Amino acid sequence: MSTAILDGVSKTFGRTTALRRTDLELANGVIGLLGPNGAGKTTMLRLLATSLPPTTGRIVVAGHEVTGSMAQRKAARRCLGYLPQEVTFPRGMTAFTFLDYVAVLKEWNITATRHREVGRVLDLVQLGDRATRRISKLSGGQRRRLAVAQALMGSPELVILDEPTTGLDPEQRASLRRILSGLARAGAVLLSTHQTEDVSALCDRVIVLDDGAIMFDGTVADLIEVARGRVHVSPEASLSAVTSWRSGTGAVRSVGGIPGPNATLVEPTVEDAYLLLRGQQTDHEGALS
Amino acid sequence: MMTSTGWHVGPKLWARYAAGGLDYVTESAVDAHVVGCAECRQAARSYVDPAPLEQVWAAVGTETARPRLPFVLRGLVRIGLPERHAVVLGGSSGLHRPWVVAVASALLCALLSGFLPEYQDRFFVLLAPLVPVLAVAAAYDATDPMRELFTTTAHSKLGIALLRTAAALSAAVPLTTVVGLLVPGLESLAFAWLVPGLCLTVTMLVLLTWWDAATTTGVVATGWACAVGITGRDASALIDTARMQGIFVAVTLAMACLLVLRTASTRLRGGF
Repeated sequence: MSTAILDGVSKTFGRTTALRRTDLELANGVIGLLGPNGAGKTTMLRLLATSLPPTTGRIVVAGHEVTGSMAQRKAARRCLGYLPQEVTFPRGMTAFTFLDYVAVLKEWNITATRHREVGRVLDLVQLGDRATRRISKLSGGQRRRLAVAQALMGSPELVILDEPTTGLDPEQRASLRRILSGLARAGAVLLSTHQTEDVSALCDRVIVLDDGAIMFDGTVADLIEVARGRVHVSPEASLSAVTSWRSGTGAVRSVGGIPGPNATLVEPTVEDAYLLLRGQQTDHEGALS
Repeated sequence: MMTSTGWHVGPKLWARYAAGGLDYVTESAVDAHVVGCAECRQAARSYVDPAPLEQVWAAVGTETARPRLPFVLRGLVRIGLPERHAVVLGGSSGLHRPWVVAVASALLCALLSGFLPEYQDRFFVLLAPLVPVLAVAAAYDATDPMRELFTTTAHSKLGIALLRTAAALSAAVPLTTVVGLLVPGLESLAFAWLVPGLCLTVTMLVLLTWWDAATTTGVVATGWACAVGITGRDASALIDTARMQGIFVAVTLAMACLLVLRTASTRLRGGF
């Protein structure tokens, strides 16, 4: 059964189309959303999080129609956790106070139960020993983990995270991946990211958005397959490559293009496939203009 | 038991400690030592079941981390405000700003009405109903950093709006009433502003579902100033007649209905 459904959903702001007509079903698991800035990732996440109403279409979260009645929308909100791209914390709050406040907004009305849940999510993001510290005294990574913690409260069926790993060090990212993969057993975790390594390490499914439309939707293996046989290393850059760069070994890694005589094919990564997709899109746009 | 690195708690002593069979002085000595000795803390695990201790420790942690509400909110909880509402009031922009605005605007109202007796009715009619409007506006921070998160939670938006409004009015209404009673010559106007003030406040709450707090305040204040301006010298007639009071009551009720409808609709913007 799908945890969330977008059925013919689009979103426009004035004359700008942020998301073109989209049909999408999200089942349990971790789903990565990749795309350049302005591709419509945040709009899609905000639509699913009920923060924005769609211009057209129908959105269903955990069986509740977000675009239906207020009661349905409320029911959907009880089943989701949302981490916006930027969380500016209110002044003077401690980590515990902040989560306590969000917990009240999420209708955790019994004080003792609420405090236990706050303690649980603080421990989950390894901030249990920072509970009484003012947020202004926390590091950037700790603040980001605190923001993630509020989205995990109550173990929601749909967790929507807008660039959750920004500002986290590799160890913290690994820890967050462990938490998210645990959550994904009981629900869907949709995360937007610019970190392709997060996608390859964590996601069961990847969606690539560009210019408000889905360019790719499949497994990580399917995405990598897009670039198979099209990534090579050579002493010199291939002129027709979508992109190329000199690696630490001195060899040039080229994505796409015609390999030169000394080129060696290498195993592609998610990043290679993503760059290739983006390159094809840019070529297509260039040909049309 | 002595080791090359110093004294450590031995197995026999641990066994008696875990069984609670030590005298007070020896038990305190073991406690004090264990706090500073990582080796003994580690050893304690094999003598004392860690599960209940961890449970107690978690409870202690939660208790010590538990936020202490500000003084005023603690008082309100003591007289019956549900604790969750106090958390909401403490977590939003708090009570300080709306209360400061209420005090400042009530004082301005008193100054202008008291020191300019020639225009006192006009100033009082103009300013008194706007005091709660300004206080409520201050309770809605247009740049509320939590707004996006708040929108996606299941908590009643109308409930929050009314809670914030009540907090702002709890300062604005008594203060302005006291000002009305203290300024000589206002007579029935001292109370006549209450219904128009309520009407403007509810109207503002409705407009907040479309616009941000600054725009809404501007529109309401300008509209009210125009209404007072149109009445000319006899400003008191705008609020101090049974007919006008009836009109304000009717508009207030209509706006209250609209507020309920607006907060239940899909496209929420502005203040809540």
